[in-house]
Amino acid sequence: MFEAHLNERESRIEWPLWVAIAGLMLMGSAFIFSATSTNETISLWQRFRDSTWESFLTWLIPKAYSKQVIAYGLGLFLAAAVCLVDYHRLARWSLVIYWFSILLLVLVLFIGVGAKSWGAKRWLDLGFFNFQPSEFAKLAFLLALANSLSRPVEELRLPGVFFKMLAMGALPFLLILKEPDLGSALVLLPIALVMMFVAGVPPIFLKRLVGGAGALLVLLLADILFAPMKWQPLEEYQRDRLLVYFGRDFAPPNGTDEERKSAFKRQRDRSRNIEQALISVGSGGLIGKGWGRGTQNALGYLPSAVAHNDFIFSVIAEEKGFLGSVIVLTLYTVILFTGIKIAGQTRHRLGRLLAVGVVTMLFSHVFINIGMNIRLMPVTGIPLPLLSYGGTSVLCSLIAIGILQNVYIYRRSY
Amino acid sequence: MLIFDQLRKGDRDLQLLAVGVLGGMGILLASLWYLQVISAKRYRADLQGQSFRAVRVPATRGKILDRNGHALADNRPCYNVNLYLEELRRDFFFHYTNRVKPGFVQANPKTKLTRAVTDELQRQARHQVVSNYLAHVSGVIQQPRLLLEKEFHRHYDQKRSLPLPLLTDLSFQQVAMFAEKAPNLSSLALEAQPLRVYRHKSASHASAAAHLVGHLEKYDSTNDNELATQFRLLRLPDYRGSKGIEKAFDSELRGKPGIKLVLVNSMQYRQSEEMWIEPEPGQNVVLTIDLAIQQAAERALAAYRDGASTRGAVVVMDANNGDILAAASSPAIDSNEFMSSLSPDRWAAMKDENLLPLFNRALYGTYQPGSTFKIITGLACLEAGLNPDETFQSKGYFQLRPRGRQWRDTAGEGAFNFRRAFCYSSNPYFQSNGVFRAGPQRIMEMGQRFGLGEPTGVTKNLEAKGYYPNHEDLRKKDGGRWMPGDTANLCIGQGELTVTPLQMAVLTAAVANGGKLWQPRLVARVERQESDSKHPVVEYPAGQLRGAALVNPQHLALVRQAMLDDVEYRDPLPPYRRATGYKAFVKGMRVCGKTGTAQVFDEHGQLKEYTTWFVSFAPFESPRYVVVVVIEGGGSGGGDCCPIAEVVYQALLKIDAAG
Repeated sequence: MFEAHLNERESRIEWPLWVAIAGLMLMGSAFIFSATSTNETISLWQRFRDSTWESFLTWLIPKAYSKQVIAYGLGLFLAAAVCLVDYHRLARWSLVIYWFSILLLVLVLFIGVGAKSWGAKRWLDLGFFNFQPSEFAKLAFLLALANSLSRPVEELRLPGVFFKMLAMGALPFLLILKEPDLGSALVLLPIALVMMFVAGVPPIFLKRLVGGAGALLVLLLADILFAPMKWQPLEEYQRDRLLVYFGRDFAPPNGTDEERKSAFKRQRDRSRNIEQALISVGSGGLIGKGWGRGTQNALGYLPSAVAHNDFIFSVIAEEKGFLGSVIVLTLYTVILFTGIKIAGQTRHRLGRLLAVGVVTMLFSHVFINIGMNIRLMPVTGIPLPLLSYGGTSVLCSLIAIGILQNVYIYRRSY
Repeated sequence: MLIFDQLRKGDRDLQLLAVGVLGGMGILLASLWYLQVISAKRYRADLQGQSFRAVRVPATRGKILDRNGHALADNRPCYNVNLYLEELRRDFFFHYTNRVKPGFVQANPKTKLTRAVTDELQRQARHQVVSNYLAHVSGVIQQPRLLLEKEFHRHYDQKRSLPLPLLTDLSFQQVAMFAEKAPNLSSLALEAQPLRVYRHKSASHASAAAHLVGHLEKYDSTNDNELATQFRLLRLPDYRGSKGIEKAFDSELRGKPGIKLVLVNSMQYRQSEEMWIEPEPGQNVVLTIDLAIQQAAERALAAYRDGASTRGAVVVMDANNGDILAAASSPAIDSNEFMSSLSPDRWAAMKDENLLPLFNRALYGTYQPGSTFKIITGLACLEAGLNPDETFQSKGYFQLRPRGRQWRDTAGEGAFNFRRAFCYSSNPYFQSNGVFRAGPQRIMEMGQRFGLGEPTGVTKNLEAKGYYPNHEDLRKKDGGRWMPGDTANLCIGQGELTVTPLQMAVLTAAVANGGKLWQPRLVARVERQESDSKHPVVEYPAGQLRGAALVNPQHLALVRQAMLDDVEYRDPLPPYRRATGYKAFVKGMRVCGKTGTAQVFDEHGQLKEYTTWFVSFAPFESPRYVVVVVIEGGGSGGGDCCPIAEVVYQALLKIDAAG
């Protein structure tokens, strides 16, 4: 470290970070390919050889893996763009970005499109791709909160300021909850908590916040698990997912045979994804079955609708085994610790808060998503950064990494 | 490491964050280790359990051959049209979305399309698609068949990964029509499968040696291959032996079923398949039966009276080694009938309590031997010192005491020496000598020397052993005391004893061959199906002696002479009366025999009917064949059984001349 301090021409790019990013992007495209090409009879190379450029490209571009690669490219471009200006100047625009994201969240409630199975509206149809405002909102909230928290520590002790920040978080939280997307909404909580903690918000405020959120959560769970069906705050599918997670019986205890039967069937349907994900992960063993050789996905046990996005980790774990899982965890750990290191190196509170926010956001995503693949967490729609298929998630993750890199570049500026 | 720099700086907040991140990653790592390394085996088993179906593939059943290689039980190709459901998934979907669902919505505009409703509609759609296929194909081959909805749904729900047998057992003509006209679809396949057939007939509706060969029954019981327990096992239709040789040698004939592994997708449709364990074909069982003799015996039984209601049996045995050449039982049955399901009427007919068509009388029928037992009584008397030339004055009946019970007789009054008494079957002669000269102990002991009351030891114990009184304490079957009247009954083969036709054949053979008591043989060997391997798997040696019936050879010669008389003797004086067995006379082969007619009483002690016998061997000079005929409900041994024996001997003559 000493040498680095003395070295005037030290690197402006944090190399381990980008090596890990490249590794994740490589794995992402490879396993999305594996997860979506199971029923292809003609290999990519054969198709390339046998058709013209034009027809090959028109066939290739709509494929999920191609779209993912395009998203990677676009994301890297945006990350580079973010690095062009000092993050302090960027932060000045944070409120504009924040309100823009709120606008999008409101918009999605009216003209959003979504998965038809449970009627959640989470996407804005932009024609060439579906944009997910909740992903963007997390980033916007992170920026705005970091900006707000970077004020002098004394001001943070004022309850008014604290409540203002609380309101800033509550707005996107409620809007995302309304979509509904409970998982994405809840991710805002750890981001806010960790950032406030690092910024120096008095512990008493944080304790109250944690206590309040915790009490709410307990009430919610108690209601879901023990209350009758009549009054439920959540959508049915959300309740079902939590019931599955807690291993509860779906059937009402005093229902008719018909009710019990249909409840049992629903339970089986609801627990299917997670059970199959577990079988995928577990059957991968130490070294896995080999790339493209996972049977769970090919035979449709791991539904093709989720294999390449929310459950991409299952595909990797099945095909590359424990070794593959370790590689994935290692790559994320490198990124997260690089982020913490950057947070420690920067001289500015804003930079430090941004880095901590990005680290917390990425970590929450990784933990919740992988945890859900192995039944440590209930099923939510939280993507695995950079690995899951999904343009918005990829773009936001790369922009967040770009912010991290930006903080690193300008860590010593005055 | 990156982290330690931060920790050294003493930045507490970041340290906490780092520890939190590290802890989270550690939890994930530990969980993954637990799942992927420690529990991997369990999840692999789950994976196998849900994505593989083990299908039990029956092996080709071995044949049952006669001694000359004629297949009494053979296999023929059975052509089936199979429908592969996984190829129809598009059709199911199309039919549902374009026909069934719009139709339902139009007809019931107000009904809400719940999951249950759409499930039911999809079921209907699948059934309709398959029914359409069936209608088309059965139209092409002109074999109408209705696919029951229940049957289809059961197959779809339980055996989706197996093809649905649309049409089974096509004729050659239908196979040709199918090949020519049926649509060339990947979902339709004409497939052959070996099926049991009993080709040789002895009458229009009787397969040769049906009782002895036995038949098969459909077999769906639980898993018999331990290897497959780790998978959900599906069975292909299979059979197992239910009677006769098919049952006794079932494990040899059946071979070992193979296991096919079918990879199924999440919808339970077949994805691919491979043979995991090849089936091991069953082995052939070669009988000692001679098809030509067997058919002759069965035809002779069928020609008796109206044939269908004949209750009787014929056993033909090689006197010189105990090989059973024919074992016929009547009423005759057709083993092929059991390959398809029998109609209730046919089942009722098969179970007829009077006819007992499924009962193998040749090996399992137990009857009182009647006068054929006089062979034993005679030998016992001779051993007791009876002078065969001494004459006995018969009054035409036998009485133990004055005014006691009278045993009537058909031989009539007059003077009888041994041969005359034997060939006219004089009851008083044998009863008087039996009771007063030989005594019950000697008679019982003589019968035991010839193996009465004991199993003959035929292959796999396919026999009954009958009942023979025990001389040691002279007790009866029911435990009562043995009285002289019982001895008088025993002398003429009535009362407390029963024998099987097979036992009588063994006894007759011992008389014919000078006292060798054979262990009769039904199966010569078990061998592999491939014709190139000449080495039998199991060989049952011929000519196994159970022991020797130690009887004075001169006495046996005298009995043989008396048996010849029974067929050939004719009184030189008027009214030129013939001996009882004259109807068994065959020109060109000197037949020796003994007739018998035993009374059968019902449970109230009323005479129900007669069991008639003819036990014989031929030729007299050097005995080769033993023929035993028994008929239930006949008139007399000479009148009913001798003609049947005669037909069998004629056939034997012809066979000897030919080969």
